[in-house]
Amino acid sequence: MAVRVTQSLNQTQFLSALATLESNLSQTQNQISSNKAFTTAAQNPTAAGAVNNYNQALAQSQQYDTNAHSAQSRLSIEDSTLSQVQTQLQSLRDLALQANNSTLSAQNRSAIATQATQIQNSLLSLANTQDGNGEYLFGGFSTQTQPFTLSATGAAYNGDQGQRQVQIAAGQTIADGDNGNTVFGQIKTGNGTFAATAVSTNTGTGILGATTVSNSAVYQAGNGQYSINFTAPGTYEVRDSANALITTGSYAAGGTIAFAGIQVTLSGQPAANDSFAVAPSTNQSVFTTVQNLVNALQPGANNSVATAQLNNSLGSAINNIDRALSQSSNVRASVGARLNSITTQQSVSGSQQVQLQTTISSLQSLDYASALTTLTQQNTTLSAALQAYTLTQGLTLFKYI
Amino acid sequence: MSDVFGISVSALQAFQAAINVTSNNVANASTPGYNRETTNLTEALPQSNGSATVGAGVVVSGVSRAFSQAAANQLNTSQSTLGQLTALQSYSTQIDNLFGTTIGGLSTSLQTFYSAFSDIANAPTSTASRQALLGKAQSVASGFQSASSELSNLNTDVNSRITSDVTQINSIAAAITTLNKQIVTGTAQDGGQPPNELLDQRDQLVSKLSQLVGVTTTTDSNGALNVFVGNGQPLVLQGLTTALTTVPNQFNASQLEISTSVLNGNVISGSITSGDLGGLLAARTQVLNPALNKLGQVATALSQTVNSQQASGLDLNGKFGSAIFSVGTPQAVSSSQNTDATTATVSVNPTGLGALTADNYVLSYNAGAYALTRASDGSSVAFTGNGTAGNPLTADGISIVLSATPAAGDQFLIQPTATAASSLKIVLTDPSKIAAAGAVQASASNSNAGGAVISSGTTLDATNPNLLNTVTVTFTSATTYSINGGANQAYTDGGNIDFNGWEVQISGAPANGDVFTVKSNAGGTGDNRNALASAAQQAVGVLQNGTSSTTGAVSALITGLGSQAQQINTAQAAQAAVNSQALSSVQSLTGVNLDEEAASLLQWQHAYQAAAQALAIGNSLFTSLINAVNK
Repeated sequence: MAVRVTQSLNQTQFLSALATLESNLSQTQNQISSNKAFTTAAQNPTAAGAVNNYNQALAQSQQYDTNAHSAQSRLSIEDSTLSQVQTQLQSLRDLALQANNSTLSAQNRSAIATQATQIQNSLLSLANTQDGNGEYLFGGFSTQTQPFTLSATGAAYNGDQGQRQVQIAAGQTIADGDNGNTVFGQIKTGNGTFAATAVSTNTGTGILGATTVSNSAVYQAGNGQYSINFTAPGTYEVRDSANALITTGSYAAGGTIAFAGIQVTLSGQPAANDSFAVAPSTNQSVFTTVQNLVNALQPGANNSVATAQLNNSLGSAINNIDRALSQSSNVRASVGARLNSITTQQSVSGSQQVQLQTTISSLQSLDYASALTTLTQQNTTLSAALQAYTLTQGLTLFKYI
Repeated sequence: MSDVFGISVSALQAFQAAINVTSNNVANASTPGYNRETTNLTEALPQSNGSATVGAGVVVSGVSRAFSQAAANQLNTSQSTLGQLTALQSYSTQIDNLFGTTIGGLSTSLQTFYSAFSDIANAPTSTASRQALLGKAQSVASGFQSASSELSNLNTDVNSRITSDVTQINSIAAAITTLNKQIVTGTAQDGGQPPNELLDQRDQLVSKLSQLVGVTTTTDSNGALNVFVGNGQPLVLQGLTTALTTVPNQFNASQLEISTSVLNGNVISGSITSGDLGGLLAARTQVLNPALNKLGQVATALSQTVNSQQASGLDLNGKFGSAIFSVGTPQAVSSSQNTDATTATVSVNPTGLGALTADNYVLSYNAGAYALTRASDGSSVAFTGNGTAGNPLTADGISIVLSATPAAGDQFLIQPTATAASSLKIVLTDPSKIAAAGAVQASASNSNAGGAVISSGTTLDATNPNLLNTVTVTFTSATTYSINGGANQAYTDGGNIDFNGWEVQISGAPANGDVFTVKSNAGGTGDNRNALASAAQQAVGVLQNGTSSTTGAVSALITGLGSQAQQINTAQAAQAAVNSQALSSVQSLTGVNLDEEAASLLQWQHAYQAAAQALAIGNSLFTSLINAVNK
């Protein structure tokens, strides 16, 4: 037997169906006008959560870009500053070579000394460079204190050894600078391993030349402190820091003295009791190196002994300038490498962001074709329902009685 | 007398009555609660004339209504469930819309807040970026506040709807009681004939009642209906109404609970699980309060982690950073039924964030022992301690201290996170007090002969009073070092050296006599280590045993609330279909079909006409007889 259908139930059910149809139609309409597949999380909780997470990842990636950009600008300033430092050091080296010429008059040397002082000032101002935020580039963490101030022996470093890191990707930080102590202060003297110096009371004309470590293992076995003593103009002995005799030999001008893995060339003629000290390299500020150069260029006695002393000083200055040059090259290379990794990271994060945006859009954006199809379907259903209602409403037996 | 006149007249009267009943059906076709009625016709008792028995006509033995108690009960139950889900849905939908905007905005502002730390890391001395961070912090705090205030508003709305529901329920119950009396009297007066109109009205009221609250009914033999709510609490017993009342929650006077006028304020909210009222109570306990607690959990974690990171670093003035956020003290409320004045105070352990839940707890004291249960499901929670200041009750990342030993039976509601979101405030106004720099800095002496380098140093324990003291690490040989001239320690390349609450690593080959110094980083205003650490906190898991970060927790909250809303929507739609089915089955049984009534009318009309014709024939027979006699 068929289910009895009553007119009032018919009415109620039609109205409730109509409400559902209209609410669905309005939701589709909202989706189309807002271009969003869902407007509240309840419509698709999983996608809503995912979109939220992807949006966060996107914002974070964009922040990493901002960070990278900030590090990039700071490192670029550092790179160009270091390039100028190298130019200045190169000029200084040329000046030292120029001064190391016995035909030069005291006046000429004094002029060179003036130029060296100017270079020292330029170096000082480069070392005190500020970035776009007014922060000192080479102050370590103390970016608001001028890192270098001139002193009698060169320059005092007022910064610290801090090195600021910037996050340029998840788990990847990069230093956005180098402290002044590393760049200008901690520069090894001599050949970087040891330094040979002529004792200031020497009375001969012995001039130190190239020094090398000929046997690293043997060199490292000792403590690196030796003294080469001339017992007679052509004879020397080498003693270590405990005054134990290491070796003896006879010397001819331009000859090489080798001991304990060390090779030292000497030219000129040392007098008896002249002595040359060999000690492990120590750290010396580039400003001290310049100051020593300037001091050495001050007029002195005009004799062969004083010339030898000058030559020795200039030789050691040139050595130290070379070390400073190589230090700034090293730092520049590291800055370059960091700039490279920033560029690499930027392109990686660029494609990541495109990927994230695509994903977000695929989750969140509306598929217009299907939404419009749905809208048409819903529209058709609604009109059909309305039509059916008006058709069936006339159907009553009472009409025929 | 059994003759054609008597029979015809009885038929005319019966069919007249049937036509009246049918017309009444047509008239009430759209009346809510009307049940179709049918005329019961019975043969009149015949009178024997000795040889044959001829019927005596027809009588109306009664008018019965089409009604099935089973179908009505089914519909009522279904309406109660639908009512519950619809009320629940109205709140879950509002929350869904809310976190589409407010809470979703919270997620964004939290993200930009952490990004602002990165901006500070890029330019630690810039006041602009510091000021920007404070602005972002403000919008985070406002986000939490407005989300929680919207949830509180919904809670207030729940209260007013509970009050209105209870008023309606009571007035319906009173009407049922009145009808009960009328039905009992009416049935007795009519000699057992049920007063259909009154029954229809009463059933209609029960149906209305079941939309408001789930009810069960029993009918007594005298026709009176008894109505029960919850776990059998009587609402109507014969001619007596027991009104429902609203009482304030024993722990939170701003939340109304349900009781009845005979229960002395005993709360029966827990047993009211269906109908609009059940939905309102469920919205509060399943949707609103948990959302508020979860928001509070995130606010607590945010405030604690950001502030403790602040305290680990130095600001532009070289001082330890100041707190950026503050949250109100977690709530521990004494029950209004406690017999003494003992109070409880609760705090979130600084190291307990991983264990902190979004639950409320009930602490009770009975037979000399404390018991801690989860308020949501009554499950027991393990704890340690004895509740004194020296040895607080500790469980799930919270500590509870009682002012004195409570009286037996005392109860306290512990709400570790409920008020945190609404009370999250920004307390830092001076941008220079944001700690961007690490607390200590490490350096190698320039006269070091070895090639070892020292890391910049991290803070392990910002509360160590000696943290900022200058400390020297001197190598006493290439393989040993001494801190501040202390005992020699073996050197491990890259190994951690922890002292005074900081940690550094020295790596490479140190030489005998090399010196490294660790000291206060005051003046290191360009340092950004603490800002970096603060920015990195975005991804650091702190909640849920370290598996969920603050931003992750907000995300999870959005997904969770969305899923809940979706689930409720689905259940509501399913129940609406069930309800429509139940309604169909009731209507198909008791509703008025106009075509059927039209056919009935025609049937009765024809029967009436036939009976009238029979009367005419009787008359003509009689006339024939008279005429024959008169001739």
